[in-house]
Amino acid sequence: MTKDELLVTLKNIVKPYIQDEEAFINLTENTDFINDLKINSANLVDVVLDVEDEFDIEIDNDAMEKMLSVKAAIDIITTKLNEK
Amino acid sequence: MIGNDIVDLSVAQKQSNWLRKGFLNKIFTETEQDLILNNNNPHQLVWQLWSMKESAYKIYVQQHGKRFFAPNKFECTLENQTQGIVTLDTQKYTIQSKITDNYVYATASLQHQAKVESFCFKIEDTSASNQRTTTYRQLKKMVHKRCNIPILNLKIKKTQAGIPLLYHGNKRICFPFSLTHHGNYGAIAIDDNNLIRTSTGLV
Repeated sequence: MTKDELLVTLKNIVKPYIQDEEAFINLTENTDFINDLKINSANLVDVVLDVEDEFDIEIDNDAMEKMLSVKAAIDIITTKLNEK
Repeated sequence: MIGNDIVDLSVAQKQSNWLRKGFLNKIFTETEQDLILNNNNPHQLVWQLWSMKESAYKIYVQQHGKRFFAPNKFECTLENQTQGIVTLDTQKYTIQSKITDNYVYATASLQHQAKVESFCFKIEDTSASNQRTTTYRQLKKMVHKRCNIPILNLKIKKTQAGIPLLYHGNKRICFPFSLTHHGNYGAIAIDDNNLIRTSTGLV
Protein backbone atom coordinates (compact mmCIF):
# COMPACT_ATOMS: atom_id res chain seq x y z
CA MET A 1 0.00 0.00 0.00
CA THR A 2 1.40 3.40 -0.98
CA LYS A 3 1.50 6.30 1.44
CA ASP A 4 -1.23 8.09 -0.53
CA GLU A 5 -3.50 5.05 -0.37
CA LEU A 6 -2.83 4.81 3.34
CA LEU A 7 -3.73 8.47 3.81
CA VAL A 8 -7.04 7.99 1.94
CA THR A 9 -7.93 4.97 4.10
CA LEU A 10 -7.04 6.85 7.27
CA LYS A 11 -9.12 9.83 6.15
CA ASN A 12 -12.14 7.55 5.75
CA ILE A 13 -11.55 6.10 9.21
CA VAL A 14 -11.46 9.46 11.00
CA LYS A 15 -14.35 11.00 9.03
CA PRO A 16 -17.20 9.90 11.34
CA TYR A 17 -15.49 11.45 14.37
CA ILE A 18 -14.33 14.85 13.11
CA GLN A 19 -15.98 18.05 14.30
CA ASP A 20 -14.19 20.51 12.06
CA GLU A 21 -15.13 20.07 8.39
CA GLU A 22 -12.70 22.66 7.10
CA ALA A 23 -9.70 21.09 8.82
CA PHE A 24 -10.85 17.73 7.46
CA ILE A 25 -11.04 19.01 3.87
CA ASN A 26 -7.55 20.49 4.24
CA LEU A 27 -6.15 17.42 6.00
CA THR A 28 -2.39 16.92 5.62
CA GLU A 29 0.22 14.86 7.43
CA ASN A 30 0.57 17.67 9.95
CA THR A 31 -3.10 17.63 10.94
CA ASP A 32 -3.65 16.99 14.63
CA PHE A 33 -6.62 14.76 15.49
CA ILE A 34 -7.68 16.69 18.57
CA ASN A 35 -6.46 20.26 18.02
CA ASP A 36 -7.34 20.49 14.32
CA LEU A 37 -10.06 17.94 13.56
CA LYS A 38 -11.58 18.49 17.05
CA ILE A 39 -12.02 14.75 17.49
CA ASN A 40 -13.34 14.09 20.97
CA SER A 41 -10.59 12.34 22.92
CA ALA A 42 -12.84 9.37 23.76
CA ASN A 43 -13.38 8.91 20.01
CA LEU A 44 -9.63 8.70 19.55
CA VAL A 45 -10.03 5.20 21.00
CA ASP A 46 -12.47 4.43 18.18
CA VAL A 47 -9.96 5.70 15.64
CA VAL A 48 -7.34 3.36 17.14
CA LEU A 49 -9.76 0.40 17.12
CA ASP A 50 -10.90 1.16 13.54
CA VAL A 51 -7.25 1.32 12.41
CA GLU A 52 -6.62 -2.05 14.07
CA ASP A 53 -9.62 -3.58 12.27
CA GLU A 54 -8.93 -2.00 8.89
CA PHE A 55 -5.24 -2.91 8.71
CA ASP A 56 -5.45 -6.07 10.84
CA ILE A 57 -2.71 -4.83 13.16
CA GLU A 58 -2.44 -4.36 16.91
CA ILE A 59 -1.81 -0.89 18.27
CA ASP A 60 -0.17 -1.50 21.64
CA ASN A 61 -0.18 1.05 24.46
CA ASP A 62 3.20 2.49 23.50
CA ALA A 63 2.03 3.13 19.94
CA MET A 64 -1.35 4.49 21.06
CA GLU A 65 0.40 7.04 23.30
CA LYS A 66 1.79 8.76 20.21
CA MET A 67 -1.27 8.56 17.98
CA LEU A 68 -2.25 12.24 18.11
CA SER A 69 -1.69 13.27 14.50
CA VAL A 70 -2.06 12.00 10.96
CA LYS A 71 1.71 11.73 10.65
CA ALA A 72 2.05 9.71 13.85
CA ALA A 73 -0.77 7.40 12.76
CA ILE A 74 0.82 6.80 9.34
CA ASP A 75 4.20 6.06 10.95
CA ILE A 76 2.63 3.60 13.38
CA ILE A 77 0.55 1.84 10.71
CA THR A 78 3.57 1.57 8.38
CA THR A 79 5.75 0.14 11.15
CA LYS A 80 3.13 -2.39 12.21
CA LEU A 81 2.44 -3.45 8.61
CA ASN A 82 6.16 -4.00 8.03
CA GLU A 83 6.35 -6.18 11.16
CA LYS A 84 3.67 -8.51 9.79
CA MET B 1 -2.42 23.67 38.89
CA ILE B 2 -5.87 22.36 38.25
CA GLY B 3 -7.60 20.36 35.54
CA ASN B 4 -11.23 19.70 34.74
CA ASP B 5 -13.35 17.63 32.38
CA ILE B 6 -17.05 17.39 31.64
CA VAL B 7 -18.96 14.67 29.80
CA ASP B 8 -22.48 15.21 28.47
CA LEU B 9 -23.99 11.79 29.23
CA SER B 10 -26.55 11.71 26.43
CA VAL B 11 -24.05 12.96 23.83
CA ALA B 12 -21.51 10.37 25.07
CA GLN B 13 -24.16 7.70 24.56
CA LYS B 14 -24.48 8.75 20.92
CA GLN B 15 -20.77 9.36 20.26
CA SER B 16 -19.22 6.32 21.90
CA ASN B 17 -20.16 2.70 22.26
CA TRP B 18 -18.11 1.66 25.27
CA LEU B 19 -19.35 -1.91 24.86
CA ARG B 20 -17.46 -2.09 21.59
CA LYS B 21 -14.84 -4.85 21.63
CA GLY B 22 -11.53 -3.50 22.88
CA PHE B 23 -12.85 -0.10 23.96
CA LEU B 24 -12.73 -0.60 27.74
CA ASN B 25 -9.36 -2.33 27.47
CA LYS B 26 -7.73 0.66 25.79
CA ILE B 27 -8.93 3.08 28.48
CA PHE B 28 -9.33 1.27 31.78
CA THR B 29 -7.21 -0.93 34.01
CA GLU B 30 -8.54 -4.38 34.89
CA THR B 31 -9.61 -3.16 38.33
CA GLU B 32 -11.51 -0.27 36.78
CA GLN B 33 -13.17 -2.58 34.26
CA ASP B 34 -14.35 -4.81 37.13
CA LEU B 35 -15.78 -1.77 38.91
CA ILE B 36 -17.63 -0.70 35.77
CA LEU B 37 -19.04 -4.10 34.87
CA ASN B 38 -20.27 -4.72 38.43
CA ASN B 39 -21.83 -1.29 38.84
CA ASN B 40 -25.57 -0.79 38.51
CA ASN B 41 -25.01 2.31 36.37
CA PRO B 42 -22.05 1.33 34.19
CA HIS B 43 -22.65 4.08 31.61
CA GLN B 44 -22.33 6.77 34.27
CA LEU B 45 -19.30 5.14 35.86
CA VAL B 46 -17.48 4.78 32.51
CA TRP B 47 -17.73 8.52 32.00
CA GLN B 48 -17.09 9.42 35.63
CA LEU B 49 -13.79 7.51 35.53
CA TRP B 50 -12.98 8.88 32.07
CA SER B 51 -13.50 12.48 33.29
CA MET B 52 -11.26 11.77 36.30
CA LYS B 53 -8.48 10.57 34.00
CA GLU B 54 -8.89 13.49 31.62
CA SER B 55 -8.86 16.11 34.37
CA ALA B 56 -5.66 14.58 35.83
CA TYR B 57 -4.14 14.43 32.33
CA LYS B 58 -4.77 18.17 31.94
CA ILE B 59 -2.56 18.82 34.97
CA TYR B 60 0.08 16.41 33.66
CA VAL B 61 0.31 18.38 30.41
CA GLN B 62 0.76 21.63 32.37
CA GLN B 63 3.48 19.97 34.47
CA HIS B 64 5.39 18.46 31.56
CA GLY B 65 4.28 20.39 28.46
CA LYS B 66 3.94 17.13 26.60
CA ARG B 67 0.80 15.56 25.13
CA PHE B 68 0.16 11.85 24.82
CA PHE B 69 -2.74 9.43 24.72
CA ALA B 70 -2.56 6.75 27.38
CA PRO B 71 -5.77 6.81 29.39
CA ASN B 72 -5.15 3.41 30.99
CA LYS B 73 -1.94 4.67 32.61
CA PHE B 74 -4.03 6.96 34.81
CA GLU B 75 -5.38 4.73 37.57
CA CYS B 76 -8.55 5.78 39.35
CA THR B 77 -9.36 4.98 42.95
CA LEU B 78 -12.73 6.01 44.31
CA GLU B 79 -12.92 7.04 47.97
CA ASN B 80 -16.65 7.59 47.78
CA GLN B 81 -19.26 8.62 45.20
CA THR B 82 -17.66 11.96 44.39
CA GLN B 83 -14.09 11.85 45.68
CA GLY B 84 -11.17 9.94 44.34
CA ILE B 85 -7.52 9.79 43.43
CA VAL B 86 -5.88 9.36 40.05
CA THR B 87 -2.37 7.93 40.09
CA LEU B 88 0.16 8.17 37.29
CA ASP B 89 3.48 6.55 38.20
CA THR B 90 4.29 8.23 41.53
CA GLN B 91 2.15 11.33 41.01
CA LYS B 92 -1.23 11.52 42.73
CA TYR B 93 -4.04 13.81 41.67
CA THR B 94 -6.94 14.59 43.99
CA ILE B 95 -10.29 14.39 42.22
CA GLN B 96 -13.63 15.90 43.08
CA SER B 97 -16.58 14.79 40.92
CA LYS B 98 -20.02 16.16 40.37
CA ILE B 99 -22.65 13.82 38.99
CA THR B 100 -26.01 14.91 37.66
CA ASP B 101 -28.57 13.19 35.43
CA ASN B 102 -27.19 15.16 32.48
CA TYR B 103 -23.44 15.20 32.95
CA VAL B 104 -20.49 14.00 34.96
CA TYR B 105 -17.80 16.50 35.84
CA ALA B 106 -14.39 16.14 37.48
CA THR B 107 -11.80 18.56 38.82
CA ALA B 108 -8.25 17.53 39.58
CA SER B 109 -5.78 19.27 41.83
CA LEU B 110 -2.35 18.49 43.18
CA GLN B 111 -3.11 19.10 46.81
CA HIS B 112 -6.09 18.53 49.02
CA GLN B 113 -6.02 22.14 50.15
CA ALA B 114 -6.43 23.73 46.70
CA LYS B 115 -9.68 25.65 46.70
CA VAL B 116 -11.12 24.71 43.33
CA GLU B 117 -14.23 26.63 42.39
CA SER B 118 -16.22 25.37 39.45
CA PHE B 119 -18.98 26.77 37.37
CA CYS B 120 -20.92 24.46 35.04
CA PHE B 121 -23.15 25.90 32.34
CA LYS B 122 -25.39 24.88 29.46
CA ILE B 123 -24.33 25.39 25.83
CA GLU B 124 -27.27 25.57 23.40
CA ASP B 125 -25.43 25.55 20.06
CA THR B 126 -23.12 22.56 20.14
CA SER B 127 -20.91 23.39 17.12
CA ALA B 128 -17.24 23.02 18.07
CA SER B 129 -16.52 26.74 17.57
CA ASN B 130 -19.48 27.85 19.66
CA GLN B 131 -18.61 25.43 22.47
CA ARG B 132 -15.18 27.04 22.63
CA THR B 133 -16.32 30.68 22.43
CA THR B 134 -19.04 30.10 25.04
CA THR B 135 -16.53 28.52 27.42
CA TYR B 136 -14.02 31.34 26.86
CA ARG B 137 -16.74 33.93 27.45
CA GLN B 138 -17.70 32.32 30.76
CA LEU B 139 -14.10 32.48 31.99
CA LYS B 140 -13.75 36.11 30.92
CA LYS B 141 -17.01 36.96 32.67
CA MET B 142 -15.83 35.37 35.90
CA VAL B 143 -12.45 37.13 35.80
CA HIS B 144 -14.17 40.41 34.90
CA LYS B 145 -16.48 40.11 37.91
CA ARG B 146 -13.76 39.26 40.39
CA CYS B 147 -10.89 41.40 39.13
CA ASN B 148 -12.82 44.22 37.48
CA ILE B 149 -10.96 43.96 34.17
CA PRO B 150 -13.10 44.87 31.12
CA ILE B 151 -14.09 41.72 29.21
CA LEU B 152 -12.86 43.21 25.92
CA ASN B 153 -9.32 43.46 27.32
CA LEU B 154 -9.21 39.77 28.21
CA LYS B 155 -7.86 37.28 25.72
CA ILE B 156 -7.29 33.56 25.82
CA LYS B 157 -4.52 31.96 23.80
CA LYS B 158 -3.53 28.34 23.64
CA THR B 159 0.03 27.06 23.91
CA GLN B 160 1.33 24.44 21.50
CA ALA B 161 0.46 21.75 24.00
CA GLY B 162 -3.10 23.10 23.99
CA ILE B 163 -3.03 24.74 27.42
CA PRO B 164 -5.17 27.90 27.52
CA LEU B 165 -3.53 31.01 28.98
CA LEU B 166 -5.30 34.20 29.95
CA TYR B 167 -4.04 37.65 28.97
CA HIS B 168 -4.97 41.18 30.00
CA GLY B 169 -3.84 43.02 26.87
CA ASN B 170 -0.34 41.66 26.37
CA LYS B 171 0.21 40.80 29.99
CA ARG B 172 -0.44 37.27 31.13
CA ILE B 173 -2.68 36.82 34.14
CA CYS B 174 -1.11 33.91 35.98
CA PHE B 175 -3.62 31.98 37.98
CA PRO B 176 -4.63 28.33 37.82
CA PHE B 177 -7.71 27.57 35.76
CA SER B 178 -9.02 24.86 33.48
CA LEU B 179 -11.71 24.79 30.79
CA THR B 180 -13.83 21.98 29.41
CA HIS B 181 -16.84 21.46 27.17
CA HIS B 182 -18.70 18.54 25.69
CA GLY B 183 -22.06 18.46 23.95
CA ASN B 184 -24.51 20.78 25.70
CA TYR B 185 -22.35 21.41 28.76
CA GLY B 186 -19.27 23.36 29.64
CA ALA B 187 -17.40 24.20 32.84
CA ILE B 188 -14.65 26.41 34.13
CA ALA B 189 -12.60 25.63 37.20
CA ILE B 190 -10.47 28.21 38.95
CA ASP B 191 -8.25 28.24 41.99
CA ASP B 192 -10.13 30.84 43.91
CA ASN B 193 -7.44 31.79 46.41
CA ASN B 194 -4.98 32.45 43.64
CA LEU B 195 -7.32 34.54 41.50
CA ILE B 196 -8.06 36.87 44.39
CA ARG B 197 -4.36 37.25 45.18
CA THR B 198 -3.60 37.89 41.50
CA SER B 199 -6.26 40.56 41.19
CA THR B 200 -5.12 42.39 44.31
CA GLY B 201 -1.52 42.41 43.09
CA LEU B 202 -0.16 40.24 45.86
CA VAL B 203 1.57 37.82 43.50
